[in-house]
Amino acid sequence: MPSIVPTFAWLEGLAWTTALRESPYGYPLIETSHVASIVTFAGLVIMMDLRLVNLAFASAPLAQFQRRLFPWQMASFVPSTATGILLFCVDPLRYYRNVFFLAKLVLLALAGLNALAFHLKTYRRAEGWDEDPHVIATARLAGAASLLIWSLTIVSSRLIPNNWFK
Amino acid sequence: MKRNIFLVLLAAGALCAVQPALAHHAFAAEYDPAKPVTLNGIVTRMEWANPHGWIYMDTKEKNGAVKHWMIETAAPSQLSRHGLKKADFTDGMTAVVKGYQGKNDPGLANGRTLLLKDGRSFYIGSVGGPNDGAEPH
Amino acid sequence: MLLPFFEWCEGLAISQVYRDSTYLFPLTQAFHLLAVTIFVGAIVIGDLRLLGWGPVGQSRASIVRNAQRVLLWAGLAVLVTGIPQFTTNALTYERSWLFEFKMCLLAAALLFTATVRQRVAVADEGPLPSWVPKAVGAVSLALWMGVTISGRLITYYG
Repeated sequence: MPSIVPTFAWLEGLAWTTALRESPYGYPLIETSHVASIVTFAGLVIMMDLRLVNLAFASAPLAQFQRRLFPWQMASFVPSTATGILLFCVDPLRYYRNVFFLAKLVLLALAGLNALAFHLKTYRRAEGWDEDPHVIATARLAGAASLLIWSLTIVSSRLIPNNWFK
Repeated sequence: MKRNIFLVLLAAGALCAVQPALAHHAFAAEYDPAKPVTLNGIVTRMEWANPHGWIYMDTKEKNGAVKHWMIETAAPSQLSRHGLKKADFTDGMTAVVKGYQGKNDPGLANGRTLLLKDGRSFYIGSVGGPNDGAEPH
Repeated sequence: MLLPFFEWCEGLAISQVYRDSTYLFPLTQAFHLLAVTIFVGAIVIGDLRLLGWGPVGQSRASIVRNAQRVLLWAGLAVLVTGIPQFTTNALTYERSWLFEFKMCLLAAALLFTATVRQRVAVADEGPLPSWVPKAVGAVSLALWMGVTISGRLITYYG
């Protein structure tokens, strides 16, 4: 497998990544947007998860609640990811060696798999979704898993600037 | 009554929502305020970068050995605010940096002031450093 | 202005514990961000509903009331993780104009949330003109996003 380091070095040396790295306005804008959109996205996901595990919004029918929240979760996920990619490109050689950044990527993949599994196995537009015990059980599990994964993702992300492991 | 408690807690809780921004990675976690250093040496490289810059400097120890330092500075927006420019740095120039040594890494430092050969002095400290009076008001 | 208070904060025992520790501060920062995320989620779901978006199958009152308990617990967590971070660096905050700005915005957001937003949210659906809850939702979002954004900008524009 070819070494990734030269690719990252090339990426870091590009005119636009350099400009972003040195900018007094661009970088702060991107980083601030990243934090604001993540907090919104993950916050809404956590609200949905709280419904799934029946800790909050218990009176809301599951399928409808999920369907209504989903577009807003996606609307905040897109800028989160876009800004995240930009931030990575600014300093790839530092991030790819950072254990908390790598953990974050793994956790994001797990979150995606969890969401996909839930959607494929139990997603139905029928009104009876809230009465089906199998759906309720699966939903609770998916919600609990999601809560754990996203909590770890946020904690890991916040720890990225620390150089605890060299 | 329950509503009042809720309101008070909400108020207090949100009032503390300020923190992460300021100490984006805590000075206290990485640098030692009890280990101030004055580094007089040659700047081998300066990374003018977000979220903070890095001055690479070589200093001479008492025994003549060369010590390599990596000095953290504030972001470009802050450095510019205090009058510093990227063009003020050339590889190989001499300078004096005052700061604080790393807790776990002796070659690491958090820079507070920079004195250039032409006599100009700049505050280069990141937000969240110790209250040592280096910061201009 | 409130300098003695900030000086007192920095002198607290807990501030010294945090200054001496390598892991305590960053870990507290991390859990603080998690608490803030949950707090913001609870605010945003309510504001979306006020704007006539999101979980429209539930009444405004239902969504905001349900979110209130989450907001309370998240707010408590924000407080507990926030206090030591603040006191450890209190004097740095005292010098920052953006910090002062953020505090004003925060006070406005808190006041607005506790009074206008609460009343409009739990009011009966009928009598209120439709623009009122929408305006309230928009103002709430603007205030809380403003708090988040101005806080993050302190590092850059101090």
